[in-house]
Amino acid sequence: MNRTVTASKPWKQRTSNDYLLVIATSTLPMLVSYVALKSGILSPMLAGLLFIVSQIVAGGVAGLIHRGKRGVGDGILVSLIGFSLATIGIIMGSVLWSVLYKGLEALKFQFLIQNNEYITPTSPLGYGGIGHALLGTIIIVSIATLISLPIGIATAVYITEVRGRSKVIVQSLVQAMSGVPSVVAGLFIYATFIISGVSAYNGFMGALAYSILMLPTVARTAEEVLRLVPDDLRSAALALGASRARVVSMVVLPTAKAGLVTATLLGIARVIGETAPLVFTIFGSARTNLNPFSDGMAALPLYIFNGVRQPFAPEQARAYSAALVLLILVLIVFSLARFLTSDRKRK
Amino acid sequence: MTINSTESSVFQVPKTKGTGSITTDAVMESVGMYVWFGPRLVLADVNLKFPANSVTALIGPSGCGKSTFIRTLNRMHELIPSAALAGQVLFEGNDIYGPTVNPVDVRLRIGMVFQKPNPFPAMTIEENVLSGLRLAKIKNEKPAELVEKSLTQAGLWNEVKDRLGNTAGSLSGGQQQRLCIARSLAVNPNVLLMDEPCSALDPGSTLRVEETIRELSEFMTVVIVTHNMQQAQRVAQFTAFFLSEDNNPGYVVEHGPTVDVFANPIDTRTSDYVNGRFG
Ligand SMILES: Nc1ncnc2c1ncn2[C@@H]1O[C@H](COP(=O)(O)OP(=O)(O)OP(=O)(O)O)[C@@H](O)[C@H]1O
Ligand SMILES: [Mg+2]
Repeated sequence: MNRTVTASKPWKQRTSNDYLLVIATSTLPMLVSYVALKSGILSPMLAGLLFIVSQIVAGGVAGLIHRGKRGVGDGILVSLIGFSLATIGIIMGSVLWSVLYKGLEALKFQFLIQNNEYITPTSPLGYGGIGHALLGTIIIVSIATLISLPIGIATAVYITEVRGRSKVIVQSLVQAMSGVPSVVAGLFIYATFIISGVSAYNGFMGALAYSILMLPTVARTAEEVLRLVPDDLRSAALALGASRARVVSMVVLPTAKAGLVTATLLGIARVIGETAPLVFTIFGSARTNLNPFSDGMAALPLYIFNGVRQPFAPEQARAYSAALVLLILVLIVFSLARFLTSDRKRK
Repeated sequence: MTINSTESSVFQVPKTKGTGSITTDAVMESVGMYVWFGPRLVLADVNLKFPANSVTALIGPSGCGKSTFIRTLNRMHELIPSAALAGQVLFEGNDIYGPTVNPVDVRLRIGMVFQKPNPFPAMTIEENVLSGLRLAKIKNEKPAELVEKSLTQAGLWNEVKDRLGNTAGSLSGGQQQRLCIARSLAVNPNVLLMDEPCSALDPGSTLRVEETIRELSEFMTVVIVTHNMQQAQRVAQFTAFFLSEDNNPGYVVEHGPTVDVFANPIDTRTSDYVNGRFG
């Protein structure tokens, strides 16, 4: 006897009734409120309120029809999640839209690779670019990451694994550091190294200022993810005769790998758009400077900051393009990290 | 019979032996159950009947799919993203995978105890017992009585009656497992699924849990996975022997009254396994 058995996921199957229910409960409240608004029965404020309330009720009703009494909470939750999603979507969408809308004008290939050396604020689009600032940002952020990642992870390991005597002090220091305004970080480096004559303005000073901001973010996130590693694993490794250092390096840190990458990313995200720490430290530059230890360096946030303040249209357009490039850079960094940490063995 | 599924290789599923002797009405029944993880077929054509108020033991070597099967019986299987299945699980005549069935209701009536004790660490002993009710928002007039009854059924009452307000983490592993059993009993399910419930217990606690299982089977249907042959013989009226050979999907080699499976097995592999000659 030959029979074909097909794998299925009954828990994912939806009937046409289910779809009808979803469509009805997600459009009816909007429709009713819209009609009430247009016909002038309700003021915009009240119509909005009606929409929110009726949508929540509709969610509950849909849950009741679909799953009975126990589905009501689920339905309401779905409605609320929908609202939150829409709110965030609208905010993010409008930010993205304004950057895209104003930033696409000057965004050409030449804009990505050329520098600003012979460009004045009134130079027409099509000349000059942000290659120097893009490279500057990448160099400065990379150095800052190289500095704050090891220190941050070491701090987290001290707090969660070593549990040394000064744990509480370290913890509160990290906490306090995360409250440092970015301009103070810049001023601190300025006062310590630049005024005192130890160093001139250069990219490395900017990276130091960035590190001050990155460190607490990396340390605290790393602390949280190390805490998530089950104690059973530590016990298992210790019981196999491992030293504490081996437990940390072979079991705890690899287990928390994905979380540590997230910690790094959050650190990068914390600083990559910061302007204030750079104003007093890297000075800025119109040429391409790849040496972080001598002369001023350019960076995207500083370029944007200087550009948007100019009263000239071409320079403003260039600044918006730079903002767009910065957003894309962040996107690339994040996607890359996602890809690197995704468990590709699992299907 | 040959299975052609999209990616799993064609595999001849032998017919289960010995099922004929189960004639009683079944409260729960799996019909033609096939289970996949991603493209990999791990269980093929499982047809088992679980008569009302009986204990059925699932035995078989490690990796043959006992845990996988028991998890299909109360829709815990679908929580694994790559999971898929074919076939039905009939509970009181209705397919629990039917389109209008809410998995939450299924799990309320078909409870589960896991291999590793997993009491909620942030709750006290008492709160743990009542947690099922609170999670499902079921009202209870006499919570104190229910706590005592459930803990007594699970054989834990005498040990913890003076410290119901302590956190569950303060109990030993065996006590924690009995607390988990009490927690499952408190919602009064019709069926209780137990996946190696005694593997973390000492012999004393194990006997007490077995005693509990026998008492429960007066009004509850129990399905228990066990690697302990004596345990299967002590508690179960029926036994199903699962086997997966040469990386082929697991299937039920033999199923029937426990006495028959252990004393007069039809298949030689069954007799080899129950007599400890392999597995
Ligand atoms: N989440 C999963 N993803 C992919 N494959 C799985 C998953 N869980 C189990 N399997 C596979 O399914 C098969 C059956 O596993 P299962 O855990 O059901 O065995 P078992 O009979 O309970 O074994 P044991 O007696 O050791 O508990 C095994 O080959 C296992 O590798
Ligand atoms: Mg198992």
